[in-house]
Amino acid sequence: MDDLYIKPGNQERGWNDPPQFSYGLQTARGPHRNLLNKRAAPGVGAPPLTPPSSNPLSPPPSGFTPTPLHPARPPLGCVATPPPPLGPMRSQRQADSSQSESEPDVERVVSVLNGALAACRQTVKAQVCSDVEKRLRLLEDSWRSGRLSLPVRRRMDTLSLALQLGQWDSADEIHRSLMVDHVTEVSQWMVGVKRLIAETRKLKPELLEPLQRPADPDQVPAGPDQVPADPDQVPAGPDQDPAGPDQDPAGPEPVQDC
Amino acid sequence: MRYLFLKRFISPLSKPEDSLIYNTSSVMATYQEFIQQNEDRDGVRFSWNLWPSSRLEATRLVVPVSCLFTPLKERPDLPPVQYEPVLCSRANCKAVLNPLCQVDFRAKIWACNFCFQRNPFPPSYAGISEVNQPAELMPQFSTIEYIVQRGPTPPLIFLYVVDTCLEEEDLQALKESLQMSLSLLPPNALVGLITFGRMVQVHELSCEGIAKSYVFRGTKDLSSKQIQEMLGLTKAAASGQQGRPLAPQDAAASCRFLQPVHRVDMNLTDLLGELQRDPWPVPQGKRPLRSTGVALSVAVGLLEGTFPNTGARVMLFIGGPPTQGPGMVVGDELKTPIRSWHDIQKDNARHLKKATKYYEAMANRSAVNGHCIDIYACALDQTGLLEMKCLSNLTGGHIVMGDSFNTSLFKQTFQRVFSKDYNGDFRMAFGGVLEVKTSREVKVCGTIGPCVSLNAKGSCVSENEMGIGGTSQWKVCGINPSTTLALYFEVVNQHNAPVPQGGRGVIQFVTQYQHSNTQRRIRVTTIARNWADAQSQIQHIESSFDQEASAVLMARLGVFRAESEEGPDVLRWLDRQLIRLCQKFGQFNKDDPTSFKLSESLSLYPQFMFHLRRSPFLQVFNNSPDESSYYRHHFVRQDLTQSLIMIQPILYSYSFHGPPEPVLLDSSSILPDRILLMDTFFQLVIYHGETIAQWRKAGYQEMAEYENFKQLLLAPLDDAQEILQTRFPMPRYIDTEHGGSQARFLLSKVNPSQTHNNLYAWGQETGAPILTDDVSLQVFMDHLKKLAVSSSA
Repeated sequence: MDDLYIKPGNQERGWNDPPQFSYGLQTARGPHRNLLNKRAAPGVGAPPLTPPSSNPLSPPPSGFTPTPLHPARPPLGCVATPPPPLGPMRSQRQADSSQSESEPDVERVVSVLNGALAACRQTVKAQVCSDVEKRLRLLEDSWRSGRLSLPVRRRMDTLSLALQLGQWDSADEIHRSLMVDHVTEVSQWMVGVKRLIAETRKLKPELLEPLQRPADPDQVPAGPDQVPADPDQVPAGPDQDPAGPDQDPAGPEPVQDC
Repeated sequence: MRYLFLKRFISPLSKPEDSLIYNTSSVMATYQEFIQQNEDRDGVRFSWNLWPSSRLEATRLVVPVSCLFTPLKERPDLPPVQYEPVLCSRANCKAVLNPLCQVDFRAKIWACNFCFQRNPFPPSYAGISEVNQPAELMPQFSTIEYIVQRGPTPPLIFLYVVDTCLEEEDLQALKESLQMSLSLLPPNALVGLITFGRMVQVHELSCEGIAKSYVFRGTKDLSSKQIQEMLGLTKAAASGQQGRPLAPQDAAASCRFLQPVHRVDMNLTDLLGELQRDPWPVPQGKRPLRSTGVALSVAVGLLEGTFPNTGARVMLFIGGPPTQGPGMVVGDELKTPIRSWHDIQKDNARHLKKATKYYEAMANRSAVNGHCIDIYACALDQTGLLEMKCLSNLTGGHIVMGDSFNTSLFKQTFQRVFSKDYNGDFRMAFGGVLEVKTSREVKVCGTIGPCVSLNAKGSCVSENEMGIGGTSQWKVCGINPSTTLALYFEVVNQHNAPVPQGGRGVIQFVTQYQHSNTQRRIRVTTIARNWADAQSQIQHIESSFDQEASAVLMARLGVFRAESEEGPDVLRWLDRQLIRLCQKFGQFNKDDPTSFKLSESLSLYPQFMFHLRRSPFLQVFNNSPDESSYYRHHFVRQDLTQSLIMIQPILYSYSFHGPPEPVLLDSSSILPDRILLMDTFFQLVIYHGETIAQWRKAGYQEMAEYENFKQLLLAPLDDAQEILQTRFPMPRYIDTEHGGSQARFLLSKVNPSQTHNNLYAWGQETGAPILTDDVSLQVFMDHLKKLAVSSSA
């Protein structure tokens, strides 16, 4: 899951710049583990003379050796601070290296995108198509000349699969995650991909058929294997589509129950 | 639509009695639950949850009857209803039918609980009965949201106003953030682009052909009409005026400067990509000429001419102060520094008054049209927020202050402007109008928050103004789920004619707004509180005190005063209020400070006031005028939890002795074997105690047998990340340790209970002495007790 990560802020330009969260992390809406909003209750105006927690002079509760005031070592083996539950960031730390699969294939990605563009040509204005084409060429050039990082190439691979399978929301979400996380690399041409997704989703199903028929039969097995992973990578799935037809009544069932 | 309210009436499962009314005989714990429940359901926190029954008694309580109200609090469990509210037929009332109204089901009549008018139900309510009630009559719908079906649903509008007098690195980062934002906007939103340096350029956005732009001189103040003429917008506007008002769709077609994202995104991406730094040379010893004033004037004029009364967001990005033309804050000579507090106090800030007046006029114009203005200021020096703050404060826009556009602080904060809620809708709403209705014994004195008055006089408006008063309606152009207003009320009942026992006061909040999905919506919250006789029931009133809400409500009054009064006067006023409150509710023997006690419901209040006095909202020392403006901007709009964090930061301690725990914001909490996490809202500080820091330096966390130490180091980091992921704006993040220079952020916030002056009295090393002459909470409390019990006070 290379779309969940935190990178340090820009300390050179920003004083105490906070770390930067990837798009996937920002949109992941888990319940809050730990809401730190409690205050210690004092006596009226007179904080206790001893610190509120246990005395630092005493040994740690579960340690066997008393901790001296300036101990040379931390206490061994007492875990009073429970390891925090595996949040998204934690699980990500471990998962980081596990996803070194095969190198995404530029031919396949570009051919899917070009196929989509070809499907659009019948209905979309020529100028838009040529604009998109220009940007797809830019993408291809960047990729072939090695200017795209692995996470970008991987996500473009997933995006093209989603496009091929007609998973528009998912494709759009991947485009958004790329714009947020890798804007420097992708800003030049991504807007073409964005437009392509928008135009393709408007097409009549029959125009889409050539797109959904994979050009190269060898590539077929790769598709289904990777696609199931997709909803996980894209936390805000199709349910989130702001243009969705059922979106107005916000989860109305509870009211009916009343 | 499929599911919702197909049947207009649904039968109530809830019990018939009114759950809104609180039983006065209950104990403290119940009050806390009641307060929490009210905040969760209605977004309301009142200073007093039982109201004193006469004007005199109310003034004696010191803290006014007042509330913090979050009009659009996120309510995933509250689906909007697809019909419009039923209004009281009395022309000067028009209160909305609510669960507190008396209903005669047989006669199909309801009595307004504000003016007592008896109203027949509209024909569509013919099927109403005890077992078939509309949602708005059910107690659990004390807050309800209606979708208004009529009228056009204009698209959202985002107008970027971009300073090009930036360093190359900053401009590049800003361009990328703007390109990125095009992917976050809804496809049908309209976007526009104005860039400025010495000149102001309005870019025409079209899908084809050559990019054209209109250029304005940065020194000349233009009227809205002149701007519209020069941009060629008058023809469209004139045709609109003749018959009906200009329909937004027509305007969209006629306005080449605001186009739907999905149509121009490719060209706009290129246009942004090709933006260059302002080409005019900047001589040595000079500041670049920056025409912020004219650029804003063009932006406001453009929207005024094309989309009045439509939700729009002007987003101003600046890398320095306005240096020429109307609204200039400082001259271009680098040898003249931008004004400081010292200059302002000496009346030595040349441009201050003129610039402030200029931006205030613009903010008011923008507010009239329902457009909000954001300021994203990224520079190391001041950028003129003091003068420009009103642009955002009056329109409900954001202010974000950073060091550079190439920081994660700016980039992520900017992304979060476009964050979405549980429904996939943007957490932003536009053109909000908040109206307050009160029952006869209560009047509204005013509000403090990001809004302007709509000057709606009426029977529920008090003559006694607090905050923005003299009206019962306010406009909040930009509003989000956390936007919180403080509203102050007055009990007007005379002392000799008290409210009958058992009666209750009622307040209704009606918020009309444009939802980010472009629907018009109305949210209605109706609350009631019991009256209590302050003489016989003072203990009940005391236990109904919400000290957290009261601290924030009084703090907002203080901050509001600080905008116009001298700092020491504000502090004296706050102190006087605190002493009076302690005199009223403390238990003591006259002239015996040691006997002084406060009940549980007031126990934290003095401490909040202590920290408030030291906070950057009231102390300007060590802050620039821009910083003070920035801190105050956020303080007067956040919800209770966040505001309280700003007043008294939260401190958590991590150790081997147990799970993380909240500890006192006190120097005694700074211990060698602890890690502290402090949240001040604007900063997150992780502080490693002396021993922990030594262990960390020695690298124990790398050794397998000290896995527990590694976990201990990670725990506060993970908790900090949790806060960082949701906070808006992104806070600064400080990782420091005992003796580190940045430890000052922690040391300046904790109560200095141990200082270099009294260290030896403490005898041993518990905690960290703070080198300060500031009074500690203990000294503060000793004085407070002395004054409260004094018979001469």
